[in-house]
Amino acid sequence: MKSQELQNVVAGFTHEAFGSQAVFRTSLNALSYPGRPLEMPLDCALPRQGQGAAAALLLGLLDSDTTLWMSPSVLHSDATPWIRFHTGCKVVDDVRAAQFIWVAYGDSLPQISKLMLGSDAYPDQSATCIIETQGFDNGVADLVLQGPGIDGDRRLNVMGLPEVFVDQWASNHGIFPRGVDVFLTDATHVVGLPRTTRISRKTKA
Amino acid sequence: MLHKFDNTSPEFTSIRKEWMALLARAPNTLLNDIVGPHIASTQPSWLRRPETGLMMIQARVGGSGERFNLGEVTVTRCALRLGEMDGASPVGVSYVLGRDHKQAQLAAVADALLQDATHHGDLEVKLLQPVRQFLKHQQSTRHSRAQTTKVDFFTVAREASSGEDGELS
Repeated sequence: MKSQELQNVVAGFTHEAFGSQAVFRTSLNALSYPGRPLEMPLDCALPRQGQGAAAALLLGLLDSDTTLWMSPSVLHSDATPWIRFHTGCKVVDDVRAAQFIWVAYGDSLPQISKLMLGSDAYPDQSATCIIETQGFDNGVADLVLQGPGIDGDRRLNVMGLPEVFVDQWASNHGIFPRGVDVFLTDATHVVGLPRTTRISRKTKA
Repeated sequence: MLHKFDNTSPEFTSIRKEWMALLARAPNTLLNDIVGPHIASTQPSWLRRPETGLMMIQARVGGSGERFNLGEVTVTRCALRLGEMDGASPVGVSYVLGRDHKQAQLAAVADALLQDATHHGDLEVKLLQPVRQFLKHQQSTRHSRAQTTKVDFFTVAREASSGEDGELS
């Protein structure tokens, strides 16, 4: 890492063990209760670019054995040296080789079927995708979620989710047990979407 | 080990790679005397708190042969920023042998100060030159101690035979 890059790096977790464990617990809960927005504990300094919840989630999950692909607007910002310095992860150019994908808000979503999907023998070797959105609110819910962890169905309204996501998600769900897991984030909250969740658009009455 | 940046000529000004190598091998007392007062006056903000771990040391047979793993050493590292986060305050980094967190902090503060033009000249004279002297002295002491155990092998030439015995095969 060049010293010029290091110049703009801010601190990581205030307390490394507690901070990363709190983040890990939140991500576990998010995947256990698909579609439920959970508040992300932000006990760390954050880079200027990229949403806080997404940055904190990656800071907690990544280590030196993991590969990360970043969408252009976070890749060319102070987020890259920050995440590399604190986690030691490898930032890769090829989205197909990445174990974690960070898609910043406004950047186009890479095609989910092109990501690491794991194999039938090792479905755990698939990518985890973190997609930034504008936010979740309790207004008119446009998505209906069903599957393990959801009693009946769950309504979720996501603002700023790329249009293509729902269709791509259907094919991702179709190749179970392979497929990627997704976290949707806004500045402070995170929503987990494990590959077992079915998503359908609410039919307009 | 004496490196080419242990050059002690007075006009020699070091670059960062060189002074970090010097700081890593600087005696603790010297670091404490020179850098200690700066720690009291400025509150560093940590990028990475001092942490101790193991590093694998690799070496080459005879210095040029196959590379092999020599063994693991204990290393303490840290990174800190002096002053505010404004893109101008220098970031100091240190990697030192051993488990002394204070020594790692002192070396990182010294690294940050050396990047600051207002402190560089002062520290160059007060800290880096004495460290070079110290390392040079340490090197020559070790060298002379090792020299006493040196054995020179030589072959005693046999006297020319008188001719009757003939050549020994």
